[in-house]
Amino acid sequence: MEQLGIQPQALIMQVINFTILVVVLTKLLYKPILGMLDKRRKEIEEGVKLTEKLRLEEEKLTLRREKLLDEARSDARRMLEEAKAAGKEVEKDVIAAAGKEAADIVEKAKADAQRIHDGLADEIRKESATLASEMVTRILSGLTVAEQHKIVARNLKEISKSN
Amino acid sequence: MPHISLAAETVGHLFGVPITNGLLTTWIGMAAVVTLSFLATRNLVLVPGKGQLVAEILIGGLHSLFASVMKSQVKQFFPLLATLFIFILSLNWVGLLPGVGTIGFREMKEGQTAFVPLFRAGTADLNTTLALALIAIVVIQIVGFRTLGTSYAKKFINLTSPIYFFVGILELVSEFSKVISFAFRLFGNIFAGEVLLTVIAFLIPIIAPIPFLGLELFVGIIQALVFSMLTSVFLLNATAAHNEHT
Repeated sequence: MEQLGIQPQALIMQVINFTILVVVLTKLLYKPILGMLDKRRKEIEEGVKLTEKLRLEEEKLTLRREKLLDEARSDARRMLEEAKAAGKEVEKDVIAAAGKEAADIVEKAKADAQRIHDGLADEIRKESATLASEMVTRILSGLTVAEQHKIVARNLKEISKSN
Repeated sequence: MPHISLAAETVGHLFGVPITNGLLTTWIGMAAVVTLSFLATRNLVLVPGKGQLVAEILIGGLHSLFASVMKSQVKQFFPLLATLFIFILSLNWVGLLPGVGTIGFREMKEGQTAFVPLFRAGTADLNTTLALALIAIVVIQIVGFRTLGTSYAKKFINLTSPIYFFVGILELVSEFSKVISFAFRLFGNIFAGEVLLTVIAFLIPIIAPIPFLGLELFVGIIQALVFSMLTSVFLLNATAAHNEHT
């Protein structure tokens, strides 16, 4: 034992040294470091969970967006069809109204033309009567009453024949 | 010729207790470990600095290593196992520092002047390795009894059959032999390394010791690992049911 250098007091000192080191390192090194590693692991786990949650949210939002886009496209298509149909209806109505208006205008124009024609005819008749009267007056002014009666009678006769 | 002594030399006395050069180096190693631990953990943050990173790699790695052996029991025994590793590693490596084994004084012994080194690798002192071995084995027995109760004693004293009785005696002997194997394996490896370095440095002082220093650094890690891993395996065996052994 002596040759190996084993001394009970030195042995006990080393046991005490080791025990002190276990206590000190447990407080100073192991607990804080393992606590920090545990904390970091939890933070990473939470981060991974959050990322997964956000990914699922994003997937949901993408699906929802696609659905809304499909709905919007479908609505737009339907509205376009409805607008086209409504446009055709309006077109028909407009054409019908225009046709009616044109017919009215034509009718009115015909009536106006007739009225103008009638007015002109009356005016011409009056004018011709006046002219005829003046012509007769001028012609008859140099004739005797008998000649005048004779000419008037002949003309009246001709007029009655022509009518 | 360099001075080589199997036993650690006494370099002084403190309150009547002999202070060996191995004990002195042990205190230096402990002081270094405690100081480095303090520096590494004084300002812990989620994004670690260099010191914290090294401490996290070391402690996290050790925890994973022992957890692979001890599974859920690692939490209970981690301080003991990790301290064994760090303590042994620090003593092994402090023993490789320049000045260890070379700084000392001369004293008269049996009429002759002898060189007494002031520092010696802590694990090249049999008192240290024996103390660690005793701690490991005593803890293993305590844990065995606490976990399995009186059935743990059946491992050593089993009167159910002559074969089990004989196996029990062998188990008892093996527990004592564990102390010896623990102590002498570590002491032998580190002391041999120290002697090797001393001899090489004596024969070829420049460059030649460098590869051997690298080798001794490696041996230092391996021996620390062997000691702590064997302790973890023995602890696991001690907490396993007796039937699993027989």
